[in-house]
Amino acid sequence: MPMLRGFLVLVLFFILGESVRLLLALPVSGGVLGMVVITFTLMVKGSVSDDLARASQGLIAVLVLLIMPGVVGVFFTADQFSGQWLAVAAALLVGTFLSVLTTLLLMKAVTASGVSDRE
Amino acid sequence: MSEFFARFQALPDTLADTPILAIGLTLGAFFAGNWLFSRIGRPLWLPPVVLSACLLSGVIAVLAVDYQDYQQGARWLTVLLGPATVALGIPLYQQMHHIRAMWRPIVVTLPIAATMAAVYAVLIGWALGATPEVLASLAPKSVTAPIAIGITEQLGGSVPLMMGGLLITGVVATLFVDLLARLLPIKDERILGFALGLNGHAIGTARAFEISHTAGAFASLGMGLTGVFTALMLPLVFRL
Repeated sequence: MPMLRGFLVLVLFFILGESVRLLLALPVSGGVLGMVVITFTLMVKGSVSDDLARASQGLIAVLVLLIMPGVVGVFFTADQFSGQWLAVAAALLVGTFLSVLTTLLLMKAVTASGVSDRE
Repeated sequence: MSEFFARFQALPDTLADTPILAIGLTLGAFFAGNWLFSRIGRPLWLPPVVLSACLLSGVIAVLAVDYQDYQQGARWLTVLLGPATVALGIPLYQQMHHIRAMWRPIVVTLPIAATMAAVYAVLIGWALGATPEVLASLAPKSVTAPIAIGITEQLGGSVPLMMGGLLITGVVATLFVDLLARLLPIKDERILGFALGLNGHAIGTARAFEISHTAGAFASLGMGLTGVFTALMLPLVFRL
């Protein structure tokens, strides 16, 4: 029961996010809008209820289960993109290498230049 | 006897008329994939979601269930992705004290690095002749899956292709962070964790938690912020 109460909160915020998206014709998904709104709500409130924390933990734990139907589609729609595999592979491998390099160098440069508030 | 055999052959299709077969298959493959993952020693380069997805595709192909029918039934599970995305806001809120402690490097790095993660992929893909649909599927490659699905749908990309790219990105980002940390060299766990979460979403975050709890916290933070930032930025940029 407590977990379902937390789930209801998540569903309500999702419906809120979807409504905002549809009413304002935003190109951002309702889930993301709901996430942003719930994060700010919690920051203002200053605490998170046990019910909500438990429901979110439960859902996050089974995320893999929820995305699997989408993953499986790779095998069934692959031929649709034949001829573009080189572009896809290069974008993923080289692109990821460059973005990891960018992140590490930036973080290193910025942390070195001044900020040293260790925990 | 041959009549019985005919009925036996029609069984998967008949059951596929209700969502329960799709739900059962997905759940079964989820647990089988996790079991197999721990049995083969939890390899970094082969996350459980890949194992589960391969098993599931195999079973769907063998049973000759129509993929569209399967998707239809699996809607009962995928509809939960909406509330699950909202749920990501709770750990993000719980990580807030890390943002306060290190807000300057984060504020400087996040917008640039998250933007470049998408830009590099789109530019390389575009230079090699990928179609707009493929580019829209590659753009959210560093974003955690539930958010990335929303982004791809908004951009008009292919969700299955995006998911494949997402998994490969997560795995290679983990390998590249390990490699570059040694070459550069960087030892600060907060930086390594943040880079893992920013580039390698959930797969990178899982790796960060193996390094240390601090690295894991920063990875969740990097993953969450990248997700929100990219989701808000990409659709607006793609409109132009």
